[in-house]
Amino acid sequence: MHIAAILRLNPVLTEELEVDEDGRDIDREWIGLELNPFDDQALEQAVLLKEATGAKVTALAAEAEGGERLLKTALARGVDEVLLIEVGEENVQLSSRARAPLFQEALEGLAPDLVLTGVLSTDDIYGELAPQLGALLDWPQVSAVSNVALGDGVATLQQEYSGGISARIEVQLPAVVGLQAATQPPRYVAGSKLRDLLKVEVPTVEPGADFGADLADATELEVPDTSGGAEMLTGDAEAVAARIHEILVERGLV
Amino acid sequence: MTTPILWALTLTAMAISGWRFWVRFRPLLAARPAGRTDRIADRLSFMVGDIGLHRRLLRFSYSGILHALIFSSFLVLFTAILESFGSGLFPGFSLTAIGGETWIALLQNIFAVVITIGLGMAIYHRFVIRPERFEGSKTRDATIIYVLATPIVITMILEASARLAIDGQGSAWRPVSTLFMYPMMALGITGHAAEQAEGVFYWAHILAILAFLVYIPGSKHRHMFTAGPNIFFRPLTPKGQLPAPAPTPGEDTPTTVQAYRDFTWKDLLDTMSCTECGRCQSVCPAHAQGKPLSPKKLIMNLRDGYLTDQGLMDSPDHAMPIVGGTIQPETLWSCTTCRACMEVCPVHIEHVPKIVNLRRSLVEEGEVEPLLQSALTNFQSQGNSYGKPAKQRARWTKGLSYKIKDARKEPVDILWFVGDFASFDPRAQKLSFLVAELLGRAGVDVGILYDGERNSGNDVRRAGDEGLFEMLAMHNIEQLEVCEFNRIMTTDPHSLNALKSEYPALGAAFDVVHYSELFLELIKADRLRINPGQAGRVTYHDPCYLGRYNGIFDAPRDVIRALGHELIEMPRNRDNSFCCGAGGGRIFMEDSPGGERTSESRIREAMELGDIDTFVVACPKDVVMYSAAVQALGVEDRIAVRDLAELITETVETEERVAQ
Repeated sequence: MHIAAILRLNPVLTEELEVDEDGRDIDREWIGLELNPFDDQALEQAVLLKEATGAKVTALAAEAEGGERLLKTALARGVDEVLLIEVGEENVQLSSRARAPLFQEALEGLAPDLVLTGVLSTDDIYGELAPQLGALLDWPQVSAVSNVALGDGVATLQQEYSGGISARIEVQLPAVVGLQAATQPPRYVAGSKLRDLLKVEVPTVEPGADFGADLADATELEVPDTSGGAEMLTGDAEAVAARIHEILVERGLV
Repeated sequence: MTTPILWALTLTAMAISGWRFWVRFRPLLAARPAGRTDRIADRLSFMVGDIGLHRRLLRFSYSGILHALIFSSFLVLFTAILESFGSGLFPGFSLTAIGGETWIALLQNIFAVVITIGLGMAIYHRFVIRPERFEGSKTRDATIIYVLATPIVITMILEASARLAIDGQGSAWRPVSTLFMYPMMALGITGHAAEQAEGVFYWAHILAILAFLVYIPGSKHRHMFTAGPNIFFRPLTPKGQLPAPAPTPGEDTPTTVQAYRDFTWKDLLDTMSCTECGRCQSVCPAHAQGKPLSPKKLIMNLRDGYLTDQGLMDSPDHAMPIVGGTIQPETLWSCTTCRACMEVCPVHIEHVPKIVNLRRSLVEEGEVEPLLQSALTNFQSQGNSYGKPAKQRARWTKGLSYKIKDARKEPVDILWFVGDFASFDPRAQKLSFLVAELLGRAGVDVGILYDGERNSGNDVRRAGDEGLFEMLAMHNIEQLEVCEFNRIMTTDPHSLNALKSEYPALGAAFDVVHYSELFLELIKADRLRINPGQAGRVTYHDPCYLGRYNGIFDAPRDVIRALGHELIEMPRNRDNSFCCGAGGGRIFMEDSPGGERTSESRIREAMELGDIDTFVVACPKDVVMYSAAVQALGVEDRIAVRDLAELITETVETEERVAQ
């Protein structure tokens, strides 16, 4: 059994983001990158399946920067092999859709039984990657999955619906899964394991395929206006009540 | 007839006692090395103060004095033991030639009284005063010792009384025995009867001593034998330098401490030296807050676990785990590594390194709580606990009246290692700004590492991630080594500790000063002119990693006084300072509800001084912790938490004022 986990880096969103000069992307000069939290779940699920069944796990990434470090972390987490698809340093804002043919090509070479990736990503808020790969590879595909069990040539998946409803789905392998949550939270990898892997050479591959074409383009990006929304009322209860009354009258709410 | 019986009894008791010692100490021979045999002269000279002068014991005056009484009496009364066994085992042996019947006898009589007072104080202490620190100690063991020690003294006195009663002649050299001779004679014990009584008391004395000897190895009172060695083998490395994981004999790579045999022999000797006195428990901030940690019980539990672990010697495959066995993970995570326990322990037990060693084993297994995990993951990816990109580290310098030099690009006099909190926390950033402006005003040639700086790793190491600490430290060392500077300055005691005490072990020695020290220099050199007149009554909190760990107590106080303030000390000050609760990685962890937060108890301590309106701190973490505590207590209108930098800024003459 061979499992492939596809990992993507996201901008750190706890930061103040700025829009770049074109007004069509965030300014990537000052941001940090982190593993997409859903891909983190996919990575954890892959390692859990490895521990449960002895499967081999290969982690894949296609990043302009930070990919090596990301894949070394994956090795420290317990994957067996890693592969970095080179996309060129200038391509810092590739969407998941653009990267899909590159992953398709690499997956055809690896021929895994199961592909796990995160259900969403900040560059893929519609959750396209898993369905795209399913279509390109012509493999069955299930998204919004929260549990994966491997059987003989089949995988049993739990798919989440709203309102606390879930379905159990059995798919023929090979298949592609867009994972929402692993059965256990992602584990912590001690610095000593990471340190030991810092010297490891991450294998890279030049893609033969072209980037996929994005169907939509951002035309304008704006940072939400968060200032001036609140007024702190101070003073005793009467003063506060008077001010509230004033505001309600001012805004024509009463 | 007596001699062979005494020989038989003595040898049997010694054999039993020796065997009881052997089974308890044999595992030390198989434990990991500790390397504590350097600087023999220093080790011996320290013992004079700690044993001879009772330096640490007397910090708790009542129990220090009672210990001094009992301890000195034991030394003097040892001569009596020598006489009893010497004369019995080797007929003709006597101390008479050197004063056995004169001044030695007198000393014995005096110290019989002294030890009685000491034992009385101890019994009163344990059963009437009953300080909280005895909670969890084994009272029965202590009681048995009182019961065994008392007859040794009584029989010694009465044996001499009976001997004097033979002729009915008192002795000025034996006033106490003479005193008891009279009631004895009144009971008709004179002449032959007194000779018989002397024999009875002699044998009672011998038996009491032998019973004591046999009992000791299984009792906390074996510290009579272990305290000396334990103090001798104390660590002589800087207080702020944690020992790296000890290597297993015969293996290259050190492994974490999972079973008792993974400890060093000194760690095990520590557990065997604990007297259960509970001084550590009484100063522990985690214990005070009701967290599941008492340093005393930790050591006692390790000792009990170690003594029941059959895997240590005979069946290594069945070694008992420590964490999850006698020690729970919550206990280990409760520690703030403030070092108060180690500073106060009379026998120099090393609590903190054991806790960190056990945390290392948890971290290695990935067993860390969610908040700590996210902080550590941030350290791994971004080099700071906030998960912010390194590029934003110097953002706080925006708006300064001058551009701080990039120490990587040009030589500087002072390299300012800013630290995480001072760089990223909004409140601490303002203080960094003030410090920068003050340095500018004093004309200090200062530079920072900009995005080259990473967290110093001090708290990461104490949280138990040794590998991550090494990565962070090595990164900083590589950055620092290519810079040209004379000294490193930091406002953060945690960074200071790493740079000053930890990095030398990694081969990088720098001259490191705290900003309180640098500002004191600048004020003394008149490079910052003080405009007194805004004097207030203030108190000062010693940060653990500045004071206890690195001995910097006076510089911040001298600055405060130089600014014209009246400094009122809190009861717990200097090396007895009380931790804010943030250290050792605690600031990255969930603060589960329990008793009163240590930071709040500290603010109340300051307020109880009365008429204090300013709580001065000299650590960015303290600013955060104590501001929150003042808010939580709702006393913002009565006491203000202010950093040293704020005090200096408001008292220092500005250039404009100087020009006028």
